[in-house]
Amino acid sequence: MGELLTRPLTWGSFLTFFLMAVVLLLIILFMVTYAIYAERKILGYMQSRIGPNRTGKFGLLQTPADVLKLLIKEDVIPEKADRPLFKLAPVIAFVPSFVVLATIPYSEHMYFADLDIGVLYYVALSGLTVIGIVLGGWASNNKYALIGGMRSAAQLVSYAIPLVISAVGVVLMSGTMNLRGIVEGQAGWFWNWNFIPQILAFVVFVISAIAELNRTPFDLPEAESELVAGYHVEYSGFRFAFFMLTEYVYMIAMSALITTLFFGGWHAPAPFLEFIPGFIWFLLKFCGVFFFIIWLRGTMPRIRIDQLMSLGWRVLLPLSLGNIFVTAIVMEIVKAING
Amino acid sequence: MALRTEELLLNVGPQHPSTHGVFRIVVKIDGEIIKEATPVMGYLHRGTEKLAENLNYTQIIPYTDRMDYVSAMTNNYVLVSAVEKLMQLEVPERAEFLRVIVMELQRIASHLLWWGTYLLDIGAMSPFLFAFRDREIIIELFNELCGARLTYFYMRVGGVKWDAPDGWIQKVRDFVPYMRERLKLYDDLVSGNEIFLARIKGVGRYDAQTAIDYGLSGANLRCTGVKRDLRKDQPYSVYDRFEFDVPTRTEGDCYARYLLRIEEIKQSLRILEQAVEMFPEGPVMAKVPRVLRPPEGEVYSRVESPRGEIGCYVVSKGKDSPYRLKFRRPSFVNLQILPKLLVGESITNLITILGATDIVVGEVDA
Amino acid sequence: MKGLVKGLGVTLRNMTKKKVTYKYPDEPMKMPNRFRGVQHFEPEKCIVCNQCARICPTECITLTGKKNPDPESKVKLVIDTFDLNFEICILCDLCTEVCPTEAIVMTNNFELAAYSRDELFKDKEWLTANNTNVREENNVSLLKAKKGGAE
Repeated sequence: MGELLTRPLTWGSFLTFFLMAVVLLLIILFMVTYAIYAERKILGYMQSRIGPNRTGKFGLLQTPADVLKLLIKEDVIPEKADRPLFKLAPVIAFVPSFVVLATIPYSEHMYFADLDIGVLYYVALSGLTVIGIVLGGWASNNKYALIGGMRSAAQLVSYAIPLVISAVGVVLMSGTMNLRGIVEGQAGWFWNWNFIPQILAFVVFVISAIAELNRTPFDLPEAESELVAGYHVEYSGFRFAFFMLTEYVYMIAMSALITTLFFGGWHAPAPFLEFIPGFIWFLLKFCGVFFFIIWLRGTMPRIRIDQLMSLGWRVLLPLSLGNIFVTAIVMEIVKAING
Repeated sequence: MALRTEELLLNVGPQHPSTHGVFRIVVKIDGEIIKEATPVMGYLHRGTEKLAENLNYTQIIPYTDRMDYVSAMTNNYVLVSAVEKLMQLEVPERAEFLRVIVMELQRIASHLLWWGTYLLDIGAMSPFLFAFRDREIIIELFNELCGARLTYFYMRVGGVKWDAPDGWIQKVRDFVPYMRERLKLYDDLVSGNEIFLARIKGVGRYDAQTAIDYGLSGANLRCTGVKRDLRKDQPYSVYDRFEFDVPTRTEGDCYARYLLRIEEIKQSLRILEQAVEMFPEGPVMAKVPRVLRPPEGEVYSRVESPRGEIGCYVVSKGKDSPYRLKFRRPSFVNLQILPKLLVGESITNLITILGATDIVVGEVDA
Repeated sequence: MKGLVKGLGVTLRNMTKKKVTYKYPDEPMKMPNRFRGVQHFEPEKCIVCNQCARICPTECITLTGKKNPDPESKVKLVIDTFDLNFEICILCDLCTEVCPTEAIVMTNNFELAAYSRDELFKDKEWLTANNTNVREENNVSLLKAKKGGAE
C-alpha cells in the first residue's frame, strides 16, 4: 500500500483512496458490532451468566438487532434543546474517531496513511471528540447532561496530557513519531517491545487511555448511577447510536494504538514465529488489550471526580514527565558507553 | 474579576437508578457541591397503617410483607410478636426456631442485596450479580419453605404456617459453609479494592451523639461505636440462647457501615449454625382461636431488622382488627440525617451516602 | 494495587466457572410444591360458605351461589359465579387456608403476564380449567390444628 500513497493525486487515485476508506469504514463497523457482542459475552462469563444468546446462533445477531432497533426508533429531540447543536454534536464526536484509524499500521504492508507525526495526529484529532460531547451535553438542555459534558471536558483535557507525555518516552526511543517507524523499532524478540523498557510510560499510558475512553473505572461522564447517562441522556435512536459507535471505535483505535506503541505492532514475539503473517499478530495483541479493557469493566468500581483529577495531575503527569527525563538520561548514557 | 456562578437546582429522582425506588432528593448544587438537600418521600405510600384498621390481624400480615419487601420475614415477625404479646400467647419452641432461622437467612439475603446494589451505585457491575446469585439460594430456600420468593407471609399469630419440609434444615446447614466461602470471594473482589476504599472511606461521617439524636438504628448507629442490637439488649424469640457478637466500629463513615454489614452476615451465619443444631421437635403452631380478638390494650414490640430497629405499636379495643396500628420503620428514621450529611458533599457522594444508609422505599413510605 | 489485582483475579477465574443462569423460557421452571401460584377451583366441592371472600385481604374474590337445581340433594346451595381479580390478588394463600372443603387450592403455575387487564379477571371456568400442577398439601396447618383441637 505504501507506493499507492506516494502516487500523485489524480481522480483515479482519489477514487481508490475513497473506496479504501469506505471499505475500512465497513470493516470497522463490523468490528464494532462484534466488539460490543464480545464485551457482553465476556462480562456475562465473568458474572456467571451466558450473555446474549437469544438472537441468532449464540446470540451473534444480537448487536445487529440492537442497532436496527436504534435506527428505526423515533427520533426524539427535546423541545427546549438547541436543535442545530443537538444534531451536530454526535457528528462532531464521531468523525474524529474514524479519522484517527487511518494512522494505525495494521501490518507491515497494510496502512492507510504514512504520517511522520502519527502520534500527534492521533492525539490531536481524538481531542476534537470532546467538543462533540460537551456540545451534546450543553445542547440537550438537561442538567444531568450538562454535568456529564463538563465532567467529560475536564477529564479528557486532563488525561490527554499524561497520554501524550508518556508517549514521548516511546518516541524518544524510536526517534520518530511515525507509527510505522515506532513499530519497526521494536523488531526482534518480545523484550524489544516498548512495554518493557518503557514500563512506566506503559502504565501511565494505559491508565490515561482508559480515562480518555471513558471506560470503567473512569466512566464518570456517563456515570450511570449518578448522572443517569451523562452527556447522552437526552439522545435516543440513531443519534445515540452515533455516540455509542464513537465510544467503541475509540476503544478499537486505542487498543490498536497501545498495540502499536508498546506491543510491537505486527511483530511476532520471537523471530522464528515470523512465518505467521504480521496482521495475525497484530490482531492477537489487539484482542489482548481489548480484553483487558473489558476485564477492567467487569471488576472495577468508579472513581470519584476529584480523585480522578488529582490522579491525573498529581500522579500521572509527574510520573510521565519523570519518565521522559529518565529515558533521555539512560539513552545518553547508553550512547556514551556504546561510544 | 470573579466569574459569575449560579446555583443549579437538580432533581434527583423519583426515577433515578440510584435512589432504590421512587425516592426523590432535590439538591441545590454549586458545580458539583451540594449546598442544600431536601428529601421528598411518599411516592410509594400505600397507607398500610390505615388499611390495617379495617383488616383482621391475620389479614394484616401479608401487608407487612410489602413494607420492607427486602426483608419480609422480620416485618412479619414484628407484627405477630406484637399480637402475641397482647394475647399472651405461648409460641411453640420449634416455631420460634423456624422464625429465627428464617429471620437470620433474611438478614443475610437483605445484606447481600444491599451489598450488590451498593457496589452497583459505586460503579462496579459484577458484585451485583455475584450477590444476587447467593441471595437466590436463600430465596429458593424460602420458596421451598413457604411457597413465595419475596412476599413470604410465613409467620402467623401463634407460630408459623408450615413446618420445615424434609431435608430443608440440612440445606440450611449446607448453606452456612458455602456462604462463608463466598464471603471470602467477596472480600477478594471488593473489600480490598483501592478505588472502592477511596470512594467510601471518610464519606458521610457522623459521631455517636448525632446518630443517637437522629434516632438512627442498625448498622447506621453501630458504625459510630454504639453497641446496640435488640437481639442482645432485649432478646426476643429465642435469641438469648445463641452465641454471637454485635460488631461495632468507631469511624462512623460509609466504610464502617460497609464492613459492619459484611460482619453481620458472618454473625448471622453463626446464629444459623447454632440454630440448626439446636432445632427442636414439636408443633409449629400454638392453639389459637380461629378469630383473633386480643384483649383491650396497647403493646409495642420491636425487633432488629437488617435495617435497624423496626417497631410495631398496636392499640386494640378488643375487636378482631386493631384500633390503631403504627410501624416504626427504620429506613424512614435513618433517612432523617440525610439533609445534614449531604451539605458540602459532591453529587457522587450523594449516591455513596444514600446507598450506605440502606433504605427500602417501600418501608420509608409504608 | 494489591486489591485491584485480587479483584481482577476473581473475575478472571469466574470466567471458567459453571454458569448459574436458568434456561427459563426454554425449559419450564419447576416450582417447589408449596409454591403459591394461580388458584385452581373445583365448583363441585364448593359449599358457598363465602369464607374465602371474607378472609381475602384485598377483596379480590367475588362469588354468588344459587339454589341447587337438584332438589334431591342435601346441599341447598351450589356455586353460580366465582370471580378472582388477579389485578389485585396478592397470592397470600389465605383463601385456600380457610376453605373447609379444599374447593379452592393453589397451583404451581405462576405465568400471569397478559396483554390486557381484562385477561387478569379470572372467572369460574378459567379457574376450573387451571388444573395443572395443583398443590398437594393445601391446608395442612388447618387440618393439623383441627386434629389438635379434636384431641
